Amino acid sequence: MTASGSLLAATILLPLAIAALCLSSRFRARAPSLLVFAPLPALLAALLVPDGTSALFPPPLRLSLMLDRPGAILLGGAALLWSAAGAFAASYMRSDPARAGFAVWWLLTLAGSLGLFIVRDIANFYLLFTLASLAAYGLIVHEQTARAHRAGTVYVVLALLAEAFLLLAFVMLAAGHPDPNPAIRDVVATLPAAPLRDAIVTLLVLGFALKLGLVPLHVWLPLAHPAAPMPASAVLSGVVVKAGAIGLIRFLPFEAGLPFWGTLLIGAGFVTAYYAAIVGVTQTRAKTILAYSTVSQMGLLAVLLGTGLENADPGATSLVAYYAVHHTLVKGALFLAVGVLAATGGQRLRPMLLLTAVLALSLGGMPLTSGALAKLASKPMLGYGLVSHAMALAGAGSTMLMLHFTLIVARDVRDNPASIAPAGQLVPWLAVAAASLILPWSLYPAISGEPLASLIQPDALWKLLWPMLLGTLALLLVRRFERLQGAIPEGDIVVLAEAGTPAIARLAAFVERADAHLRRWPVAGLLLLALAILIGGALMLQA
Amino acid sequence: MTPLALAPVHVATPGGYLLVLALTLPVIGVLAILAFAPRRARQVALASMAAGLAVAIAILAELLRTGDALTYVVGGWQPPLGIALRADGLSAALIAMTALVISATGLFARGMQDLSPETRDGRAATTFWALLLATWSALNTVFLGEDLFNLYVALELLTFAAVPLVCLDGRAETMAAALRYLMFALLGSLLYLLGVGLIYGAFGTLDIRILSGLGDGGPALSVALALMIAGLLAKAALFPLHLWLPPAHAGAPAAASAVLSALVIKAPVFLILRLVLDVAPPEAAAFAGQLLAVLGASSILFCSVMALRQARLKLMIAYSTVAQIGYLFIVFPLASGPEGTPPWETIAWTGGTLQLVSHALAKAAMFLAAGVVAEAFGHDRIAGLGGFGRALPLSAAAFGLAGLSLMGIPPSGGFIAKCLLLTAAVINGHPWLAATILAGGLLAGGYVFRVINTALASPATPLAVQRPIPRRLEMTALALAVAAVLLGFIPLEPFGLLQIGRSGLATAVAP
Repeated sequence: MTASGSLLAATILLPLAIAALCLSSRFRARAPSLLVFAPLPALLAALLVPDGTSALFPPPLRLSLMLDRPGAILLGGAALLWSAAGAFAASYMRSDPARAGFAVWWLLTLAGSLGLFIVRDIANFYLLFTLASLAAYGLIVHEQTARAHRAGTVYVVLALLAEAFLLLAFVMLAAGHPDPNPAIRDVVATLPAAPLRDAIVTLLVLGFALKLGLVPLHVWLPLAHPAAPMPASAVLSGVVVKAGAIGLIRFLPFEAGLPFWGTLLIGAGFVTAYYAAIVGVTQTRAKTILAYSTVSQMGLLAVLLGTGLENADPGATSLVAYYAVHHTLVKGALFLAVGVLAATGGQRLRPMLLLTAVLALSLGGMPLTSGALAKLASKPMLGYGLVSHAMALAGAGSTMLMLHFTLIVARDVRDNPASIAPAGQLVPWLAVAAASLILPWSLYPAISGEPLASLIQPDALWKLLWPMLLGTLALLLVRRFERLQGAIPEGDIVVLAEAGTPAIARLAAFVERADAHLRRWPVAGLLLLALAILIGGALMLQA
Repeated sequence: MTPLALAPVHVATPGGYLLVLALTLPVIGVLAILAFAPRRARQVALASMAAGLAVAIAILAELLRTGDALTYVVGGWQPPLGIALRADGLSAALIAMTALVISATGLFARGMQDLSPETRDGRAATTFWALLLATWSALNTVFLGEDLFNLYVALELLTFAAVPLVCLDGRAETMAAALRYLMFALLGSLLYLLGVGLIYGAFGTLDIRILSGLGDGGPALSVALALMIAGLLAKAALFPLHLWLPPAHAGAPAAASAVLSALVIKAPVFLILRLVLDVAPPEAAAFAGQLLAVLGASSILFCSVMALRQARLKLMIAYSTVAQIGYLFIVFPLASGPEGTPPWETIAWTGGTLQLVSHALAKAAMFLAAGVVAEAFGHDRIAGLGGFGRALPLSAAAFGLAGLSLMGIPPSGGFIAKCLLLTAAVINGHPWLAATILAGGLLAGGYVFRVINTALASPATPLAVQRPIPRRLEMTALALAVAAVLLGFIPLEPFGLLQIGRSGLATAVAP
């Protein structure tokens, strides 16, 4: 095994090993302080391992790993956020009696979500996807409030549904393949010609869209992200939803292209982006607004993926990864900011609010921030037609939403007593914020193929500024209607789904009555005889 | 007369004596318990278990070494006059599974009895050990038998050993459940015996291998098979014949529930498998297989919903058993591979067997964990168990791991089983069965999740443990659950062991 291979393996195995050590009660107490180190192999792998490295582990593990360009970009950003949020969690939860259990769920989610970026074979992709999905439940319900339980239930139902869709899709993909556990790349290459192509793509898109949070499958995000403890919200919103992005990157045939599905993704993406911005601006809690902003941004990610799929452009995957890593770092920093600001008051508040506002507006595409870089890098691919204008309009929506967020945060902290958040929380936040402002610059030339100087051309700046002005105007308009605030409940259409629960309860009650009836002696005896006759008939009919 | 009947059908193999040991060792144990009771009942039982486990491993090793089935012809008399015992790959796997679950249950029961020393050597305890060994012997006879009447005797022995296990505590409620079980099982036996009589009258033999060479057996064979299969369905408690199972399995003591749910109902299922695949003419089997699959699918959906609705933990696990048994019946249409592939070389065959074994391990683990919970808190109402994970972390973990296997979440034996069945459903074009498998997984997720959620909850007033539970007791359930998860590491393809000794049979389910 080469050094690169071991580093890739350690990405998954180190967090799992720390989680396993938590079985010992003496170790368990120390686990939260180790969270910061668990993603380090992933960070090193993203920085040091050359693109295209792969590593195979023999049966019975049957694990194969591979690092490519989009995977490395996503892995690096995600590992950075996991590490910083881990440090934040150690300080944030230091007096929580259940923090050891929290650490175990944290490590399991971490191993799954980071492993997804590097796994090469289909069975282990499913394994890691499941691990990340189910372990995140422990993070969501950690606070054990009624809200957390409701969020957890909605989350688990949708996560299991996604698992079912994906399992069927994977089985259909691998069914015709000679190797029972093929590499993802090999089966995806045969997908465009597969007889069940449309069924498979439908299942894949449904499964991953549930994770990504495309409308109307987004309902778990605005419930789950605010319910979790602050550092968990940061990684849920920053990294865990990206499992859907890496899934679509890996499983859709960007080489061959699927124009119909591309158009569909673009449409779903824009609907998601606008819808979430509009619903988000009626919300009154900072974390919920951030969750809606995540939904909106994932919609834009779907637009980029759809464009790549429509044009059969494999380069789109790197661009999607670049956009995703910008969102990972900014959204992670914003969630941590909510935590830090809540513990800060007096003199120190003003500069911190300013930094938060800059981070927030980065999502709207503020010039010189990572958001601006991501938007400019994707401009050439989107072209200059309708999609490009719709994208600019989505930028206006994001600006509106993030300004709303900034005002809400400023309102919430107005009366804080003069104090400052502990260094254990302040430093991780600043680290993520700094990374979000710096990292995208270093990646930009490689991703877009253009020099950095092109970023400060006046027309480039104007392309970024007019949507922001439009967004500001829109927010001013929205704030005139005070009744809009809080008009739409968190999770919006989930309320409609929950209204259907009596019908389900009635169905279940019917099943219960039927069971009681079937389990009566005369009925069961008759059924036994009927079955004997039926089977006899079946055997004779063909014999 | 076919030429098959003239040549010796069964040729004894050198390792054949192991099969006799597998049947007789537990019986010797029962006799020894009766002789030494009550003082030494436990030691005798545990010693028999160690010996039986060793025999099971030896059978498996011998099978893998020779690559062929083990056969023993009793008294050297060839069928149709004599009786043969035969272990092919599937039988050996089931014997090993049985030995493992029985031994684990035995260790658990010993730990449970140590909790109340005053009744440790009482009548209930002694009876339990004798019945457990009798059940074991009957199970092995079912898995090894080649003669339909011999199998009938084994099934009766199994019923008469299993029914008293239900009502060991002598409460009126469990007595009623046991009586219900007994009556319905006897009804099943009656139908089975009627079928056996018909076959003997028509063909003059009861040996499965001879019958398998008959080809088209005419209406007599069809009627006989229909009666036998219906009788066995009653004993397997497949929906809609499950009236007896939930109260019986939920009312029995934990160790007994584990054996009943994990092993006892597998015996009739195994026999249905043999009747459909080995005895029924292939074209007829295909259609009857469809019918059984419909029953299996209804069982999965209906009883999973029922499991979701149960307020008591053990009733929930019992309904889950009926649901999980359904997966074994949807194997029939799925195991018809491409033209010319016999069923045991298809992935569905491996998937079905794996489902059977992993369900046995997972379900035993669940019942044992539930037994620990009920012992610690004095009840098993799910609503009143909030936060039990903190008091009994190992039991909660065992329940969770076993649940993974039932839900079909990787890495676990249940996942591989469901993945193989799903693949077979996709390849053979059975979209409804694929949907059923997935829906069953979702519903299982629902009821497992309900318990896990309860375990993880942190109620305002922590749950008080009424009596301390030693770690060792919890470890048994955990070990079984881990075994169910480890099954997930076998490869995703037709498994070689299960094909040993099958190729000699002439029939196959036609596509």
